[in-house]
Amino acid sequence: MNRFEQPSYRALLRGVRKPARYTGGELHAVDKSDSFFNYDPDRRVHFALCFPDLYEIGMSNLAIQILYAILNRDSHTFCERCFAPDFDMRARLRENRLALTSLETGTALADFDMVGMSLHYELAYTAVLEMLDLGGIPLFSSLRSQEDPIVIAGGPIACNLEPMAPFFDAILLGEGEEALPEIVDALKRKKREGQTRQEFLASIAAITGVYIPSFYEVDYLEDGRVGRIAPVHAAAPPRIEKRLVADLNKAAVPLRPLVPNIELVHDRMVMEVLRGCARGCRFCQAGFAYRPLRERDRDTLVETAGHLIRNTGYEEMGLLSLSTTDYSQLENLVRALLPMTEPRHINLSLPSLRLDAFDFELAKEIARTRRAGLTFAPEAGTQRLRDVVNKNITEEDMMEAARSAFLNGWDRLKLYFMLGLPTETDQDVEGIIVLVRKLIALWDDLPRESRSKRLRVTVSSSYFIPKPFTPFQWSKQITVEEMAAKQEQLAHGLRDRRVSFSWNAFESAELEAVLSRGDRRLAAVIHQAWEAGSYLDAWYEHFDASRWQAALELIPGGASFYTRARPLEEIFPWDHLHVGVTKEFLRGEWEKSGRGETSPSCYDCCSVCGCQDYGAGLCPGGGTRDSG
Amino acid sequence: MTADKERIILFYERRGAAVWLAHLDMMRLFERSLARADWPLSWTEDAFNPRPELVFALPVGLGIETRRDPLEVTLALDGQALDPDRALLCLNHSFPAGVRVVDWKEGKAGSQSLMARVTAARYRLEAEGIGAAFRQTFAGGPVEVVRQQKKKRTVVDLAPRILSFEEDGEDRVSFTAGAGSSGHLRLDLLLDALVLHGGLNRNAAQGARLVRLFVFLDGEPA
Repeated sequence: MNRFEQPSYRALLRGVRKPARYTGGELHAVDKSDSFFNYDPDRRVHFALCFPDLYEIGMSNLAIQILYAILNRDSHTFCERCFAPDFDMRARLRENRLALTSLETGTALADFDMVGMSLHYELAYTAVLEMLDLGGIPLFSSLRSQEDPIVIAGGPIACNLEPMAPFFDAILLGEGEEALPEIVDALKRKKREGQTRQEFLASIAAITGVYIPSFYEVDYLEDGRVGRIAPVHAAAPPRIEKRLVADLNKAAVPLRPLVPNIELVHDRMVMEVLRGCARGCRFCQAGFAYRPLRERDRDTLVETAGHLIRNTGYEEMGLLSLSTTDYSQLENLVRALLPMTEPRHINLSLPSLRLDAFDFELAKEIARTRRAGLTFAPEAGTQRLRDVVNKNITEEDMMEAARSAFLNGWDRLKLYFMLGLPTETDQDVEGIIVLVRKLIALWDDLPRESRSKRLRVTVSSSYFIPKPFTPFQWSKQITVEEMAAKQEQLAHGLRDRRVSFSWNAFESAELEAVLSRGDRRLAAVIHQAWEAGSYLDAWYEHFDASRWQAALELIPGGASFYTRARPLEEIFPWDHLHVGVTKEFLRGEWEKSGRGETSPSCYDCCSVCGCQDYGAGLCPGGGTRDSG
Repeated sequence: MTADKERIILFYERRGAAVWLAHLDMMRLFERSLARADWPLSWTEDAFNPRPELVFALPVGLGIETRRDPLEVTLALDGQALDPDRALLCLNHSFPAGVRVVDWKEGKAGSQSLMARVTAARYRLEAEGIGAAFRQTFAGGPVEVVRQQKKKRTVVDLAPRILSFEEDGEDRVSFTAGAGSSGHLRLDLLLDALVLHGGLNRNAAQGARLVRLFVFLDGEPA
């Protein structure tokens, strides 16, 4: 009898909101129950791919689609999915002593061979612990028995998972398309050969990108800073190199992605066109960590689009990357896609457009089906501060682009800013207000017949968070009180019935800064906060700052130890990891930012950031520059 | 079928994981499945949010299985012919797990919406002790339950909405109930009534299997 025929399961689903979050059954979901469980257990791997947030968030993420498809290609690997249960389901599971189970077959997490956590933001850490605990897996790596699954983590924030180090058996630094199948193959070997956990971890330490936290010991100075990070196992290299897929065209793309039945954050087919970023904005971790910039071939993308349209039935298509207007073939690509999308009422959407490359003819064509708003991300309100951040957008660029947009019928404008950037003054915050007012005045000055009726401006501000592997990793973060003052200044200055202003919560921004540049001592803090009830911290309504404040008392100096400015000679908890950019390069950029000097993009010339050693993509010898 | 616009009524069943989708999810599911199967759908004229023309006879509640619920699809054939058997083969191949079209018939041109033609529906309920609970609840006289909506609280008498019922053993009941724009019986209220007035165990109610067997259109089983 399958679980859907059991009254107890029906009762469980009936008692929660959006039960389809937990049932699976989506188009292209894989169920290998008929064959897989008949294979010799030593010749198969049962893998639980987990995203530590609700279904709707996890299923909107392309990483889950990619890894699910890649792992399931192998008949002897069965990859299932698991997401964080919402509060109502979590309560029912605990009340009824039920384990957290996978979507495809309802298998408890503890019964898998390997559990993989896809991590995209630090505020998901408590959900990781909750999922492991609900799944029946001991939280600490050191307490897991030979029968427990191997727990591995990966994703964009794998470049510093030190605060979670005691909870993961292994971490994958970099891209998973090639590495994860290699790890799964090693797991099959482990089972066949009867290796212990330790022997297995030693064997995968040799795979490029794999980091075994327990193979390294961290010593601290009296003041709490890192003194030394050293390997304590023969198999542990002194430095862990990230895994890079040099030719993005060789990275597998799911042509039959899962199509969820319930509404997600983003309900659309997606194509990743670029990976990495050539701009070098100094706050951006993803841009640096995913270098070199690599493009996908235009013809392959057009072919992929055809498959996705046929196989999904979605009404929206998104082109994804960190900066889509940097895609060298964008115009050609869009012109090839429009005849495929328009007749089928499919909306082509392009997020993260960079202002200075904005092409209106192109945008008008895209907007013919359904017009979205115009989005700019100046980040800073004055040119001085934009130069500090190396965000090369001028006021003239913005005004000109806005003017063209308004004359072409755009009437919704969205602006993103970051408060608390290094060297920011009140004048810089005032600069945001001045800029917004100038854009509104531009609209007002246009003849009424030449533009739409009503302008709506959304200003969205977040707080700067210093991140590892960026030039700003030495920067302090401003205090919560300072954040509140700036936000008040902005809210007051933006008072206009046409402007809506949205901002992030301060305390969670502070916590993110703590965790982002954190060390292993924070594991105890995370554990305590979780025990006290912290869960789904990325959600405003669930975030409780007091629990974290209490837990941070475990660390002398608390949050401020982590948000402080860092001296140039400080050893960082992530110094033993290498993502391509060198500390020397980043330090040079940090010093330039202090002088308000900009740096060229990789398109202009190579800044020798360190990634040129990979010889891939846009880097000299990488091929993209030559073929572009 | 050849004409510029044609209507076809599909009868669909849903089982398994698909039972746990809300009505809006089902609309989306059908829109996407029809798109994948390349059906020549007619789209509404709305400038801002054009949608394919689909009309469900009845909304399908969360947790309710169907066996042949009607759904009317309007096609824009533009003079082309549609081979229904072939089109249905493609459609059934493109659904996610648990959904299948089991039958079809030509739709009526013009006027009355499919929804307006629904008068009643036939159901089957399975739960421990449901036979006795049903008998006791609908022995005669009013059967009142409270319907709590966000800001409104109404008392509904379910008795006139149960048109007939038969017990099939202790744990299974089949019944015909009012459905559609007036006199519609909500199954969640029915379960509340069976617990309140019929002594049905609450856990049994929560774990009940609810199946809509077919719908009455214009007074006849469709």
